[in-house]
Amino acid sequence: MALNTDEPLATQVRAARRPNPRIAQMKRTWYFFRRNTLGMVGLAILIMIAVVAIYGATQPLSWLSMTQYCSTNFGPLNSASGYNSTTHGGAFLKSDVYGCAAYVCTYETVLPTNYLQFCNGQWYKIPAPEGSVYPGAVAPTLNLGTFSSGPMPLGGLSTAITGAFPVFNLADGMLRGADWSLIFSVSIVGIGAMAGLIIGAIAGLWGGYVDEAIMRLVDIFLSIPVILFVIVTITVVVSVASQNASLAGPDTELSLLILAFAAVWWPFYARIVRGQVLVVREQKYVEAARASGAKNGRILFRHIIPNSMYPVFIQFSLDVGTIPLLIGGLVFLGFHIFPNDQIYFPELGTISALAVQNLSDYLVNCTLPGGGCVIPWWQLLFPGLSLFLYAISVNLLSDGLRDALDPRLRR
Amino acid sequence: MLTYILRRVALVPVIIVGVMTIVFALTSALPVQDKILAQHQPPIHAKCGTPEYCPCNLVGGNATNTSMCKNPFFWRIYNELGLNEPIPVQWGIFMYHSLTFQWGTVGNNSLLVGAAPYSYAKGIPVAGFLGGILPYTIELALVSLGIILAIAIPLGNLSAVNRNRPVDQASRVMSFSGFAIPAYLLGGLVLIGIVVLSSSFVGGIGTVATPWCHAGESIYNEFTGSWPVEGCYTGALQGSTGFPIWIANSVVTHPTGFPTIDAAYHGQYWLAVDTLLRLMLPALVIAYGSIAGLLRFVRNSMLEVMNLDYIRTARAKGVPEKVVVNRHAGRNSLNVTITVLGLTFAFFIGGFPVIEDVFGLDGVGRALALSVQPTIDFGVIFGSTLLFTYLVVAANIIVDVLYAYLDPRVRLG
Repeated sequence: MALNTDEPLATQVRAARRPNPRIAQMKRTWYFFRRNTLGMVGLAILIMIAVVAIYGATQPLSWLSMTQYCSTNFGPLNSASGYNSTTHGGAFLKSDVYGCAAYVCTYETVLPTNYLQFCNGQWYKIPAPEGSVYPGAVAPTLNLGTFSSGPMPLGGLSTAITGAFPVFNLADGMLRGADWSLIFSVSIVGIGAMAGLIIGAIAGLWGGYVDEAIMRLVDIFLSIPVILFVIVTITVVVSVASQNASLAGPDTELSLLILAFAAVWWPFYARIVRGQVLVVREQKYVEAARASGAKNGRILFRHIIPNSMYPVFIQFSLDVGTIPLLIGGLVFLGFHIFPNDQIYFPELGTISALAVQNLSDYLVNCTLPGGGCVIPWWQLLFPGLSLFLYAISVNLLSDGLRDALDPRLRR
Repeated sequence: MLTYILRRVALVPVIIVGVMTIVFALTSALPVQDKILAQHQPPIHAKCGTPEYCPCNLVGGNATNTSMCKNPFFWRIYNELGLNEPIPVQWGIFMYHSLTFQWGTVGNNSLLVGAAPYSYAKGIPVAGFLGGILPYTIELALVSLGIILAIAIPLGNLSAVNRNRPVDQASRVMSFSGFAIPAYLLGGLVLIGIVVLSSSFVGGIGTVATPWCHAGESIYNEFTGSWPVEGCYTGALQGSTGFPIWIANSVVTHPTGFPTIDAAYHGQYWLAVDTLLRLMLPALVIAYGSIAGLLRFVRNSMLEVMNLDYIRTARAKGVPEKVVVNRHAGRNSLNVTITVLGLTFAFFIGGFPVIEDVFGLDGVGRALALSVQPTIDFGVIFGSTLLFTYLVVAANIIVDVLYAYLDPRVRLG
């Protein structure tokens, strides 16, 4: 900084020593945030999850074919009926709690009243999921002993996740699950928030007809319930991708999936940013910048956007927590969001949804005479718990941020 | 006031047309077979009496993902429907059908019609089908909305008054935890709990004895998605599997379509009570899941109101603290709460497919859940998108008008 002879030297030295105002503000925010116990707890949990996710990302997910998995853990599986572990073909797999050895089924007929399954050379009749009550029902019991007496130390963690294909076990799935959950949620909400930020800022700055048109468009998008919009968009995306050979392949389909989710998210951000921009652009400092000859672009990027970001951060951290829950809900409904029905992207929501889905299968199997009645509660508990910790830490963090960033709430 | 309401209502057509245009744009990307179902073109199913007159996927062809169909009759209908017309004409036809509730018919190859509760729906009009089971979902929504309001408002006020004290922290953690547990997981855990606990109850394994049924009603059935067919749950209103059946079969008259009210109308009071109790558990799960948003808004608006001058004035003149909190501050903080209700409604109703699927409630959400697997029932999915959009728009209008009525400042805007 060149010395200016018009001002006393002491003033200039003080000005030079004054830290960058943005850094000062961050320090101040951190000071207030640190005093919020719940927010700090949330931050700590989130950092822990991020560490696990980063570690998980370095570990290759060991895909196991059913035969491999079962022969290492239980001895060879009787696969006389020709189960093909790579194509998934017409075969489908019914397995026991450990994902092994129960039976390999090749054919399924859905009748109005019951299912017939052709398993290991003989037909099995199991009750339909809805409708009639199977006679001779036996209540399932919660067998707490199974967890510790599993095939490995902490046996439950090594059990395969039924319904996932290719097969992976619970511990592997959870390790990689943290990784994929973070990637999914941050990229989906990030893209949505970016788009919303730009559109909202344009609406707020431009005003007039542009503002009116954009905000009506936002109203229109916000009128469609989120879960339905996601279902409809993904239905179309999957359908288009399966028609078009150039869009095939897990990577492309994954990007399309993320874009489809992001399409649902931008209107929330557009509305928030526009409201914020309307407030900020009337502030004195914007007026001062304009008076001192700043161009529109500079005003937008240096003054308006940085000062309207805080509500966006808060909404962002809230939404990031809901993505795995939403994906889990869709998977639970049996909606095939993943390409070719294959879960190459184990994700906490998906794993816990599969666990709950399997639960009802086990309960149905319990009603069969001689059926096994072990409820694999650990498959519910661990993914569920990690999902819960993730979502709640993100929520606590955003609540703490809100308190720290809003000067009116600091007192 | 009137101008404000008129201005809000004038926006409704814009929003509805916009939503339908988005839906139309999405459907037009679909392959031809699915497009016909998704754009709910009615005549094709009406003419489906003879098999060769049906679209390919209705005659058992592998047509889910093929754009070519070898059935010549299909293409004749395709032309008759105007699908060879330019896009704007197709859009016009789509709009006409959407607005006149001609949402096509329920397909016949999804789980929806393969399963018992909705098997009657095969081939019936989508709008009629959804309309018939909508009251059930609305009843669920109202019960859970009641629970949410009853908990969120007092708790929000309490935590605003005791800001950053243990009460506040506890309520915050509790509401966030509801937000963080996925509905399917909580529902599943609740049901395991009931199944396991109820084994020790009177009246057999997996059942609970109720005042109106000492032998015990099976709760276990609820998990497998069916209503009890034996035991106590038999009455004049009871069809073979549940409410939609008796709604659809017209076993008895159903003046309102709301199961509880209809049961009471027919003098079956125990059945009304039973229905309401069966709704309580899913409603509690829904309420627990979506209470966080409302609670946060109640708390924040209460905090803002508590700092205003007139509260200080009220305290200064010696009004008891209880009256200050409940009357001066509480009532004024409600304005914000009401607007938030409208916004949460969209999220709120979105949680229903999962909840209804877990608890086996035969409402619109479960129909939607069943129609996404394993083959997608395009008619039902796109029809329910329009239905829920109408509901959300209606809710928003009601909330806006209510807000304008409660807050005089809005009238100027």
